[in-house]
Amino acid sequence: MRHLKPQAIVGLLAFLFLLALPLGTRAAAPDVSLTVVPELVEIGTSFTGSRLTVAGEIPAGSQALLEVRGQSTATGLMRKGRRGGLWMNVGEIEIEGAPSLYLAMTSHQDLLAAGAGGQWGYQALQQKVHFTGQVQGDEVPRFFREFLQLKESEGLYGLFPGTLKTSGGNPGRTAVRGTFELPAKIAPGLYQVCLSAIEEGRVLCQKTVPLKVEMVGFPAALTELAYQHGALHGILAVIIAIVVGFVMGFVFKGKGGGH
Amino acid sequence: MLSLYMPIAGNSINVLLLFGLGGLVGFLSGLFGVGGGFLMTPLLIMAGIPSTVAAASDSNQIVAASTSGTYAHYRMGNVDFKMGILLLVGGVVGGTLGVQLIKLLRAMGNADFVIKITYVIMLGVVGFYMFVESLQALRKTAPVQEAVRRLEPGKPSIYVRMVQALPFNMYFEKSGVTLSALLPLILGVFVGVLAAIMGVGGGFIMVPVMVYMLRMPMHVVVGTSLFQILFTCINVTVMQSISNHTVDLMLAIILLVGSTIGAQVGARISRRLKADQLKILLASIVLVVMIQILVGLILPPHLMLGYKGGH
Repeated sequence: MRHLKPQAIVGLLAFLFLLALPLGTRAAAPDVSLTVVPELVEIGTSFTGSRLTVAGEIPAGSQALLEVRGQSTATGLMRKGRRGGLWMNVGEIEIEGAPSLYLAMTSHQDLLAAGAGGQWGYQALQQKVHFTGQVQGDEVPRFFREFLQLKESEGLYGLFPGTLKTSGGNPGRTAVRGTFELPAKIAPGLYQVCLSAIEEGRVLCQKTVPLKVEMVGFPAALTELAYQHGALHGILAVIIAIVVGFVMGFVFKGKGGGH
Repeated sequence: MLSLYMPIAGNSINVLLLFGLGGLVGFLSGLFGVGGGFLMTPLLIMAGIPSTVAAASDSNQIVAASTSGTYAHYRMGNVDFKMGILLLVGGVVGGTLGVQLIKLLRAMGNADFVIKITYVIMLGVVGFYMFVESLQALRKTAPVQEAVRRLEPGKPSIYVRMVQALPFNMYFEKSGVTLSALLPLILGVFVGVLAAIMGVGGGFIMVPVMVYMLRMPMHVVVGTSLFQILFTCINVTVMQSISNHTVDLMLAIILLVGSTIGAQVGARISRRLKADQLKILLASIVLVVMIQILVGLILPPHLMLGYKGGH
């Protein structure tokens, strides 16, 4: 074995080449690029929501799915029912694993349609959430739909099929562009913006960019006061109220027909 | 659109809308001596404020409106401090009892039913009784006290005899009545329990209690009710701020600027209106709110799910 024959050397080199081939192919695998503007959303005094512009590229021929997702939390809910002929809250339900925010845009109308793979959109969310409390197993789909409607009414959930604009990009690539309206009700925290390239019903490749939402200025100072110094906040609120009450009393003292 | 971000409510709301709501409720507060919580909290929820933040921040704005209103009525000599303090002490005891009662009902699983039914019945009974009584008094142009006596439900003589049988009689100069000191204490407890169950200040129950059960003149009722509400709401604001962090100072400040102006205007107009006109107006508002709540209870809701802590 010390002296290899030339044929063996050629064979070994051919084997190594074949071995390296998949690695080379992997290095040239299709990928996704994504930029999000802004990457930091600041909630100041005049915050009324924010527009998020996303741009990226996906392999040509694939479809684009863009998702903005908040952190998964447990949400406490009340189910309504009839008692004595009147509608009211009749039991507690908790949903675990649902993101605080979920917005999805696609390049193609049918990508978010029911039955389209079930790997993304609300179908994928339903597989991840878990209901506990006063809910029967067969009621879960109905209450999941109700939950989606509740979130959609606040602008925190939404599906926007076919709203991603595509155009020719670099060779072999498709440029993708879209805008999201983040609602005023968005909570401070970390969010993820994810662009996926979909081909034949499966994710070909994807890229995720973090998005930070934070309170700044006066709202941030007030929130810190309320949560870190509750007693001081309460007393301050009362003092402000009493002072304003008296000031208004004095302002109005000399006016009108009062005694 | 002139919107401001409310950090605790976690939403952006139009300032003019909040200012207008504050002004309207403050006006009613100054006019009738009610805190207006039964009106303001649902309005704030409709404007997009979470219910827990709406109720707590509303308490804070009521502090300002009732300070302004109490001060205005004090200058007019319309605050019976002696009666107010006795009702307040009873109210604090009743409020504590009511909170424990709600905890017990929640554990038994039927708290919401009791809350809703209490709300509708109390608003209905108070509104209807005040409306009918004031309407008849206005039509017959009879002296108010006579009308009250004639329309007293049940057996007024028994009530009068019971009241007279109570010990610790006291003269209340401002109200011009002699009563047992226990009566305002007991009635304060009663209103406190109901207010805690319904999650409101209780002004709309306290006013009729003062008029019909303590026989206080209407102009003193308004000032004294505001005085009592002021201290109740100071307590609620501080407690909510410490326990639940649900007081939104930004929201409260806008509301209270509007409500203090409204309260001053209301207090002035209340001097120009007759007692029965005031009562019939308050009764109408109470009945409208009751009907609105009742319709909401009868009609199927749009969604069968709501956030915990909501109505």
